[in-house]
Amino acid sequence: MRIGLRHIRLPLHDFILEVDVEITAGRAGIFGPSGAGKTTLLDLVAGLRRAPSASIRLGDRMLTDTARRLTVPARARRIGYVPQDLALFPHLSVRGNLLYGARGGGEAGGRFAFDHVVGLLDLGPLVERGIAGLSGGEKQRVALARALLSAPELLLLDEPLSGLDRPRRDRVLAYLRQVHEELQVPLLYVSHHASEMIALCEEVVVLDRGRVVAQGAPGALLGSAPETARFSPPGTLPLVG
Amino acid sequence: MAKPARGTAFFILLSALFLSGGAICAHAAEIHVFAAASLTDALKELSAPYEKASGDKIVLNLGASSLLARQIEEGAPADLFLSADEEKMDGLEKHRLLLAGTRRSVLSNTLVVVVPADSGLKIAAAEDLAGPRVRVLALAEPQSVPAGIYAKGYLQGKKLWSRVIDKVVPTENVRAALAAVESGNADAGIVYKTDAGISKKVKIAFEVPRAEGPKISYPFAVVAATRQPDAARRLLAWLESADALAVFQKYGFLLAGG
Amino acid sequence: MSAEEWQVVAFTLRVSAFAILLILPPGLAAAWLLARRRWAGKSLVETLITLPLVMPPVATGLLLLKLLGRRGPLGGLLHDRFDLDVIFTWRAVVAAMAVMSFPLLVRGARVAFEGVDPRLEQIARTLGAGETRVLLTITLPLARNGILGGVLLAFARALGEFGATILVAGNIPGRTSTLSLSIYQLVQLGKDDDAFRLLAVAVVIAFAAVWVSERFLARRDAP
Repeated sequence: MRIGLRHIRLPLHDFILEVDVEITAGRAGIFGPSGAGKTTLLDLVAGLRRAPSASIRLGDRMLTDTARRLTVPARARRIGYVPQDLALFPHLSVRGNLLYGARGGGEAGGRFAFDHVVGLLDLGPLVERGIAGLSGGEKQRVALARALLSAPELLLLDEPLSGLDRPRRDRVLAYLRQVHEELQVPLLYVSHHASEMIALCEEVVVLDRGRVVAQGAPGALLGSAPETARFSPPGTLPLVG
Repeated sequence: MAKPARGTAFFILLSALFLSGGAICAHAAEIHVFAAASLTDALKELSAPYEKASGDKIVLNLGASSLLARQIEEGAPADLFLSADEEKMDGLEKHRLLLAGTRRSVLSNTLVVVVPADSGLKIAAAEDLAGPRVRVLALAEPQSVPAGIYAKGYLQGKKLWSRVIDKVVPTENVRAALAAVESGNADAGIVYKTDAGISKKVKIAFEVPRAEGPKISYPFAVVAATRQPDAARRLLAWLESADALAVFQKYGFLLAGG
Repeated sequence: MSAEEWQVVAFTLRVSAFAILLILPPGLAAAWLLARRRWAGKSLVETLITLPLVMPPVATGLLLLKLLGRRGPLGGLLHDRFDLDVIFTWRAVVAAMAVMSFPLLVRGARVAFEGVDPRLEQIARTLGAGETRVLLTITLPLARNGILGGVLLAFARALGEFGATILVAGNIPGRTSTLSLSIYQLVQLGKDDDAFRLLAVAVVIAFAAVWVSERFLARRDAP
């Protein structure tokens, strides 16, 4: 699934977000330090934010085209979003959250059916519970399942592994791979951990202070020590090659 | 007839005393006058010349006599009380709040029915107040305010009270009743003839004949707790003088007992 | 407490409740617009809404008198077209209460709406919810406690309204006599014992309303 992020120009606090790339991989990542504009970019793709100039395309659907004054509203974009703070609805149970945007049936093979997604993410025992008592990892999976149940054509993930300890991070990463393979949903994954990029993504766009500084395969771009490579201050990018 | 002559002489004497810068008046006194709302315009006209001649300052507190009496009972700083009915003065006298020997009934008034100046309503007799074209009848609060007590007394005497009671809007004082008619929110109101006289926005539809109407009496007195009894007595004396009475009469007040 | 006194209490509760019901839709709408939207003239609207809270109540009453009187723009229309009087009737009591309570309701509801994480509303949109659905299923339920707190506070304010009411409705026994107006008149008549009795009732009701309001406001962040 091609994602077109063309002619994007959005002034932010300290810098201007300027992006003009095409993403072709099914598991793509946006890598950069905090404050580089990654979350803003996801918000633009999801239709939660507007830019003075942007041309955003998903597959063969035009979502935003400022030149033609076209903006598809967020509710019609069929894009699932797992934000950094998860944004689970506190007044609804797990089931209430999961079903909120559920479109389930009608899809090929019912891959987005409730039981299928719940089973895939091992949420069975949690369904009737309230949000408050869930662990970090459990909340992640609920947020992920909620987004998936809306049968999205693209899944956006903003730092989904932050705040999780090592074993849980690996587990969620494994879930993500499974989700991508079994449900055939393209992923756009945002993080400032190189190791996650390398572990999950086929293609990476590197963002620094609002500008794309590199694009390509993560292993090649992000250095030879994936375990320890994290993003350093702007200008000291550990790029290789 | 001796009274007015004596009053005039007194006034001339007083003025001469003040104008000569007598030692009596070392500093200007501030005289607090609590007066019935219906006396508003006359008192305002009387204040200026008195202040000029005497050097004293007159501070007016105008309102329903019932409210003023209540305030005096609670200890509000009043020097003179000019009430619109004897009952309120009786109440103060019973509680020994008046300076002995200063109480005198000075003025009287007439009740009238007023309607908005542009109203086509015809009130030929009191009975018309019970008619369907009078939907809202403004009176001063009939339980406590003199103007309202007088009005209610009159209507009761004509056996009309029970028939109009549902249309009655009781107001805080007689000027508020007047204002209600002026604004057009009341179809008619019962106020003093003197009130109707100062307003261009109402016209008198019916005047209560003095033979049928209540005995309206305005007693004046010095309040016992006054801090400047001399200045208060002086002012009271002047208010009862012929010159002052002439001003009251100009506004339509009658002399007590007259 | 006599039957008339209970009647005054019942009347006051009735008109206050009615006034609150009247201002609820526009109040919530205004609160939401102020919390969630930016537009030209927003500061002006904010200030206008807050005015009755800080202006002398009798001043507000005077404005209402001019507006709703038989010769006023709105009152005149009602009188001439529908033969309906507002001044000196229960309708004026409701109007005074509504205007004086409106700012409190808007403030409380606005804070409640602002307390709802906008991220939740955004995610709901990505899940396919339209604006109405977001409002009904996310915003309102999460703002519920804060809104209820604001409503009760506005109700308490309406119960105690005096300055504007006395100007536009007068104190007509059996027709516009509220708790506050009755207390005032009893004091004027020198009937202090009766006044204190009504005062006690007023205090109890106000206390209850504010106490429950505070409970709701305390639970504002818990859904």
